[in-house]
Amino acid sequence: MPPRPIALSFQDVSHRYGARTALDRLNLQVAQGEVLALLGPNGAGKTTTISALLGLLQPQEGRIQVLGSDPRQAVADGRVGAMLQSGSGIGLPPGVRVDEALGLVRRFYRRPAPYDQLVERADIGSLLRRRTDRLSGGQAQRVRFAIAIAGDPEVVFLDEPTSAMDVESRQGFWRMMRDFGNEGRTVLFATHHLAEADEIADRVVVLNHGKVVADGPAATLKAAVATRRLRFVTDRPDRPELSDLDGVTEVNVCGTGVSIDSLDADATIRDLVGRGVPFRDLEITGAGLEQAFVALTGCRGADAVTPAAALADAPPPGDR
Amino acid sequence: MTDLSVAPPNVPDGSTQGVVDPARDGRRNRLTPLLAFCRFEVGRLLRSWKFLAITVGFPVIFYILFLGDNTAGKVVDGSVPWRVYLMVSMCSFGALVAALNAGGTRLSMERASGWARQLRITPIPAWSYVATKVIASMLVVLPVIILVEAVGAGFGDVRLSAGTWIGLTVLLWVTSLPFAVLGVFIGFLVTPEAAFPVVTGLMFVLGYFGGLFNPVDEMPGSLQFIAHLMPNYHQVVLALAFLDSRTLALTDWLILAGYVAVLGLAIAWKHRVEEARGLA
Repeated sequence: MPPRPIALSFQDVSHRYGARTALDRLNLQVAQGEVLALLGPNGAGKTTTISALLGLLQPQEGRIQVLGSDPRQAVADGRVGAMLQSGSGIGLPPGVRVDEALGLVRRFYRRPAPYDQLVERADIGSLLRRRTDRLSGGQAQRVRFAIAIAGDPEVVFLDEPTSAMDVESRQGFWRMMRDFGNEGRTVLFATHHLAEADEIADRVVVLNHGKVVADGPAATLKAAVATRRLRFVTDRPDRPELSDLDGVTEVNVCGTGVSIDSLDADATIRDLVGRGVPFRDLEITGAGLEQAFVALTGCRGADAVTPAAALADAPPPGDR
Repeated sequence: MTDLSVAPPNVPDGSTQGVVDPARDGRRNRLTPLLAFCRFEVGRLLRSWKFLAITVGFPVIFYILFLGDNTAGKVVDGSVPWRVYLMVSMCSFGALVAALNAGGTRLSMERASGWARQLRITPIPAWSYVATKVIASMLVVLPVIILVEAVGAGFGDVRLSAGTWIGLTVLLWVTSLPFAVLGVFIGFLVTPEAAFPVVTGLMFVLGYFGGLFNPVDEMPGSLQFIAHLMPNYHQVVLALAFLDSRTLALTDWLILAGYVAVLGLAIAWKHRVEEARGLA
């Protein structure tokens, strides 16, 4: 299979806000048609990355290309759409109906998506006559999605699009999103929900402190962050090999209670039994996203998953 | 190249009927993006009861209150009857109130809400957002001027020839451009929380020092100096000179144009600063 052309590329991109580094020599290439999740804790550089891709921010160093051109050119050509974080309001103009707002934005593009297709795709048929200031959080996000894709874009960026949604709207939204991505468009979305990244994206990139710390297919990444927490009570909390057990990333001892974070709970337990450490009241839980990030950013890091090198052989940007 | 060929939106089914009237949408599709945007903005303004109440209420109520004063025979600026001065002043005040409220408060809110950013990532150039806001302000200023003139003709005992009415209206309208640009500048400058007090404060500071509530030549000398810097003052001076068939002084025009230029540059500067910080 020939490598797909590159849709987005970052070359050594750095940006600082005062003393804080938002992007730290970021290198990233996204192929056309890829659905990529940008995962990371708050302040990891996700929003800065998206702002830079839209030309809303000019990074101090490095080079960014969107569809082979400067980000601003791609925006001016109407080839890019985005759903940004909405700040203090809902990101829609108050005092107008949904159909008016959508109609206006469509008019800004030379080749907008057909109106009825947008309405159907974003499932806003029942909202069109509603005033934008009388929508629920989930409804507003659907309208904003329709506005984001009004220009029938080749590339779409979404910055934590589901943050204001309940579980049901969230599922509906991602169904919409996946259909959209299945048409060969490039989608990049930022999230801090691991489950969303896992379910929707072909590829997950984990950012931390403005750097790519992990990059790979969702499944690989999921394995890498499959951290489990083991808790048990032991009469020998002083046994030194606790931290040497297979898969262990962190050990906390409090009296006779032990808490162990492990990347491979099965192996850890086998090892625990094998070494004859006495234990009782064993409990295994998912360690949560926080630990997952620790696992990726601290202990095993980018080595655990396929590095960005997988795409390094792709043709240079602009080759369309 | 245009979107005219795109299938007009259909009316899907009973539950969502009347979604968009195809004929109406077809007509609107022919508008250029900028015209469509202006229409959209004016529509929003005219549908806001709060905006209409403030914009129409302030000048008309002030006018009617001031009319009650016993000012028969009083003249301003040498030979202009008080009642004519009052109408011109209230036109100026109405234009100021409309422009500051159309620009300032609402623009500030929609910038904070992310809507302005959403428009920034459409193909329309950044300047067209500012231009549309200024044009929309100007379009709502015009009916306010006409309304106050109508009150003047109906209740204020102002009698002018048809040509003079038209000339006065055009003159007052054109000279309101600095207020429209000022409103947009404030919208760019302040947070939504600050916008309302700033706009209200400016309305009365500019109104007072511009000599709208009391003629400038009745002010103490030191305040007169400030008054001569105010855009409203020069607007009123031009209007009264026109009504009195005197020559319109170039200085007044230049000062008003200076306001437009300086505020326009200030908006451009603010935009650049935000862009550099990635906030635009």
